[in-house]
Amino acid sequence: MLWLCIQLPKLPLEALTRAHRVTDNAAVGVVQNGLVVEANPAASAHNIEPGLSIATACAYCAELQLLERDPQREEQLLQQLAHWAYSFTPLVSPRSADNKQNPTEGNCACLYLEISGSLKAHHGLAPLLQQLGKELHKMRISHFMGLGHSPSAAHLLSQLPEHRQWLATAKTAPTPQQWRQWISFAPSKLLDCNHKAITRLYASGIKRVSQLLAIPLSEVGSRFGRGFIDYLARLNGTRPDPVPSYEPPAEFHSELFFPSPLDNSEQLLFPAGRLVRELSRQLQRRQLYSQQLCWVLDYGSRGEQSIHVEISRPLLDPQRLIALTKLQFERVELKEPVQALALKCQQLRPIESHSLREDFFDEGSKLHESYQLIDKLKARLGHQALSGVTLKESYLPEQAWQNADSLTLQSRARKHQLTPVNAPRPNWLLARPDPIQQRDHKLFYDGELHLLQGPERIDGYWWQHHRHARDYYIARGAQGSLYWVYQDLTSENWFLHGVYS
Amino acid sequence: MNSAENFLQNKQLGDQPGKQASREPLAAGQEPLQQLLTRPDIWQLASGQRRPRTGISTGYRGLDALLTGHGWPRAATTELLIDKAGIGEMSLIIPALAELTRQGRMVVLVNPPHIPYAPALVQAGVQLEKLLILHPRGQRDQLWAAEQSLQSGACGALIQWQSRETPADKDLRRLQLAARDGDCLHFHFRPGSCAQTPSPAALRLQLKSDGEQLALHLFKQLSGKSGQRVHLARHPDLVRRDQPLH
Repeated sequence: MLWLCIQLPKLPLEALTRAHRVTDNAAVGVVQNGLVVEANPAASAHNIEPGLSIATACAYCAELQLLERDPQREEQLLQQLAHWAYSFTPLVSPRSADNKQNPTEGNCACLYLEISGSLKAHHGLAPLLQQLGKELHKMRISHFMGLGHSPSAAHLLSQLPEHRQWLATAKTAPTPQQWRQWISFAPSKLLDCNHKAITRLYASGIKRVSQLLAIPLSEVGSRFGRGFIDYLARLNGTRPDPVPSYEPPAEFHSELFFPSPLDNSEQLLFPAGRLVRELSRQLQRRQLYSQQLCWVLDYGSRGEQSIHVEISRPLLDPQRLIALTKLQFERVELKEPVQALALKCQQLRPIESHSLREDFFDEGSKLHESYQLIDKLKARLGHQALSGVTLKESYLPEQAWQNADSLTLQSRARKHQLTPVNAPRPNWLLARPDPIQQRDHKLFYDGELHLLQGPERIDGYWWQHHRHARDYYIARGAQGSLYWVYQDLTSENWFLHGVYS
Repeated sequence: MNSAENFLQNKQLGDQPGKQASREPLAAGQEPLQQLLTRPDIWQLASGQRRPRTGISTGYRGLDALLTGHGWPRAATTELLIDKAGIGEMSLIIPALAELTRQGRMVVLVNPPHIPYAPALVQAGVQLEKLLILHPRGQRDQLWAAEQSLQSGACGALIQWQSRETPADKDLRRLQLAARDGDCLHFHFRPGSCAQTPSPAALRLQLKSDGEQLALHLFKQLSGKSGQRVHLARHPDLVRRDQPLH
């Protein structure tokens, strides 16, 4: 087993300011219980450090922007990072920061990755670590790492500067002797236990882990309790060190928070692009696709608005997804400044092999273009502006067709073929039959109508409360138009129902 | 076609002979002439009959004979000027649409005036899966949707009905260009009052009824004769007269 521990010391800050551009250089500090917990580089340049009180920090830098720490957002970001790490190894365990008692000195959040199985795929340890570091850097997440034979050891060693130095140039995983050396060399304040225990360790003169290990375990146990012995055993590798393993959900949810709300929908495009790229990276890794992107614009206390982007085909290309999103955003008028933008995709579906085969070998490209066109039209015109028609089995002419919402475009997957009636039917059907004037036994609709053919009696649904009994005729209008007209047999009124165009 | 395009095409033609000559010096004299003759904007009077079919058959022999490509002009706008619905205007274009859907191309209807009635379309041989009906709101969305569909290259034909507002000449030109880029048949139904205003369409037909038949008047035809009239009979099943009951 080879465990990598990635510590995320600046998570409280990054969870709140990830939406900022790199070029933004306003000083930002995160506060909790009246103390600054984290500061960005611009703020650090003004000597603002974790642990300062708000008043002192503001005295150092008047333009300092203060943000309240948001553990929920941190947790979300940590879950996302776990998800990201899942693409490197199936054994990932996120551990959130314990921020209960002391905000400045508690342990920061971290990720445990078991990487012994991923070394070969990434051509060794150094390229893997480089890749991890590069991607974290791209996500603008500051981090430091440690390797260990167990999660506890990795956690301890990630805090040891000598180990980190070695890791930066490491080519292969260290031998067990090296582990032990490093662990015993580590100062005992790095041990993952509460402050009381550490002060007591120092009080009894134990400054390094080696001194602690020299003492018989039973004596350590009687002083520091069973839990501590257990921890030491896990650190040594003599006892298994289980960590809860992360299971990725079959959905995507990511959110960007804007400390200064956006009031222009064009400004949304930049953060939206970042979210879409995140999504398509994940989809690609897990070979899933989503049929719908659901954007949620959060107006803070004034509610939220959701925008749906429909996608008819498996589509992973971020550029296309952004283009579709852009079409939707162009139509949106922001009611209030937007405080956060979230992208949600429920129900990620696996990309099936048969859908790929079509792309490669069938009439493929044309079909692909059709789907692209439909997506584009849907995005700008809205779902309801597009429709298709299909046949339906019914005696009544107005029920012999129906709107086809989902455009199939492929004709192969048809199970049951309906055949229409073998009688001349009009190309146009009026949505609502138009009444025809009747005078002196003559019919008038934009001039006098002459009946050419008929009647064709359609009498149905007498078993329901509304009987439809009609005699249909083909009629010619004064200007040569051919109409499909009927006489309602119950009321004896005449109606125009279709046009033979 | 504007002068800039013309210039470009001429330039391309000018470039070609040089390349040809280097490969096949013997055929070099003949090739550019053939190329010139296939250009859509060069009208040949003498060989009108011998021209190959470049258009998509209308399904009516009498009409095919009058059209330069022996069919609806490919990748261009065809304007159909009509005042009164129900005189057979859809039956005129449906054979071509049915053929396109059978070939697996998509057919888009933008703003049809009524519901396209599925049983009649199936009878005419249209594959309903390939039919897409759009109802965009407002003139701008309508033109946008038409242009996007024409350009996409996914559609075989697009049929558009003019809404109350008359589109500007600039917009008509854009649609014509989009149809050319996407290799799409573009039918534009417009009221008869538009006949007087010029239009960039490749073919303009006026549709009227002479009481029994559909009377067509070729208003304008790019690189072809215009001014002819043709009468097309309605489907015999429709106009057969029964003994009147009333």
